[in-house]
Amino acid sequence: MIRVDNLHKRFGNLEVLKGVSLEVKKGEVLVIIGPSGSGKSTILRCINLLEEPTKGDIYIEGEKINDKKADINMIRQKVGMVFQHFNLFPNMTAIGNITLAPIKVKKMDKKTAEDIAIRLLKKVGLEDKKDAYPVKLSGGQKQRLAIARALAMQPDVMLFDEPTSALDPEMVKEVLNVMKELANEGMTMVVVTHEMGFAKEVADRVIFVDDGVIVEEGSPEELFSNPKSPRTKEFFSKIL
Amino acid sequence: MNLDFSSMPQYTQLFINGLIMTIELTIISVAIGAVLGLIVALMKMSSVKILSFIGSAYVEIIRGTPLLVQILIIYNGLPQFGIKFPGFVVGIIALSMNSAGYVAEIIRSGIQAVDPGQMEASRSLGMSHSMAMRYVIIPQAIKNILPALGNEFVVMLKESSIVSVIGFADLTRQAEIVSSVTYRAFEPLMIIAVIYFVMTLVFSRLLSIFERRLRTGDTR
Ligand SMILES: Nc1ncnc2c1ncn2[C@@H]1O[C@H](COP(=O)(O)OP(=O)(O)OP(=O)(O)O)[C@@H](O)[C@H]1O
Ligand SMILES: [Mg+2]
Repeated sequence: MIRVDNLHKRFGNLEVLKGVSLEVKKGEVLVIIGPSGSGKSTILRCINLLEEPTKGDIYIEGEKINDKKADINMIRQKVGMVFQHFNLFPNMTAIGNITLAPIKVKKMDKKTAEDIAIRLLKKVGLEDKKDAYPVKLSGGQKQRLAIARALAMQPDVMLFDEPTSALDPEMVKEVLNVMKELANEGMTMVVVTHEMGFAKEVADRVIFVDDGVIVEEGSPEELFSNPKSPRTKEFFSKIL
Repeated sequence: MNLDFSSMPQYTQLFINGLIMTIELTIISVAIGAVLGLIVALMKMSSVKILSFIGSAYVEIIRGTPLLVQILIIYNGLPQFGIKFPGFVVGIIALSMNSAGYVAEIIRSGIQAVDPGQMEASRSLGMSHSMAMRYVIIPQAIKNILPALGNEFVVMLKESSIVSVIGFADLTRQAEIVSSVTYRAFEPLMIIAVIYFVMTLVFSRLLSIFERRLRTGDTR
């Protein structure tokens, strides 16, 4: 589904990714963990070309996406992204947020788009908020709305960049529950998170990134109970 | 000092004509300036190097030289190329071009003040850059741009008095005319100062009411 080959990314003189390779199979949930500044977000952002790789290849369903000929807008429709700070459109209602891209990009008619939006709002438990503007929503509600917005494009893959880091603790769970449900339905997901409980429960595989490289990779049981690299051990000793 | 306003009322019509001229000139100039300014702003933000250079250079030159000098250059320069316009047109050209430089910066900073996360979210949903601009960024930027544009209008209302140097019959020029026929230098100037002040005050008040409306509109 996703294959990343020897991915490098530099910002000016700063080399942030130093050869990252990974693969995500259809229906798999990959969790990326690692210290701040290690390059986790940059990996995700390269996968939907919000950042352009300096070197290396990224394939989605066999198609090389960092290619001059690739239709980037088509590719992004297949890859949904959920941001730490939600990035909802503040000047649109909940339903407006969800229907904008289907209507403008997929040329869906308004009625169909709204039917889909209502179904998604129900799915994330926000059907009573369809006419609310984002300012009127709590953090957890905002993030659930952002997930619904991304799902409306019917993506094949969902990328989550620390979706619960900006939330008050009591709201983390409602967002993680939506993500769990999504994983159970077979959605392919790449999740950057510090929620180790979520990783243990939902991840098929976990990778530990430090200083722009994948230090260690394995099933959650392997990685959490028996980390091999000293860097991984040190990271766990700090956060657990 | 002896003030004598007794000869002034008979020139009321002149002052009114001048006032109308000033308002007309300002509205037309800011309107044209807004359109030109949008073009300049888009050029400046363009990824095409030569366009962004021209856009930046335009803004720098307009903002880096006095309006009076700009007006004199256009007034004296155009005839050198065999182009002759009436004073009214020269005034509009000069003020529009000047306004465009400032409006371009207003538009550019209004757009750049929109959270970059908005563009990223739009692009991640498959929107093209221009779609994201049109449906997501610009509608939010307008909330930043309109109040500043209104402010530009108020500034231009006062600054436009400078076109009197090229004989344009604006409010300031009318005061000069009245003073030359009445031999009273001071009184006409006091009158127009009051008129300018009241105008600025009124438009500023309207502007801040409008601005408050915009802001409450955001929180709904
Ligand atoms: N647009 C950019 N320009 C310059 N440097 C950047 C840019 N984006 C990220 N970086 C730098 O790249 C490094 C990795 O950033 P990245 O956001 O991928 O880290 P991260 O692992 O997601 O960290 P965090 O847990 O804090 O989110 C950091 O040192 C960051 O300062
Ligand atoms: Mg990050």
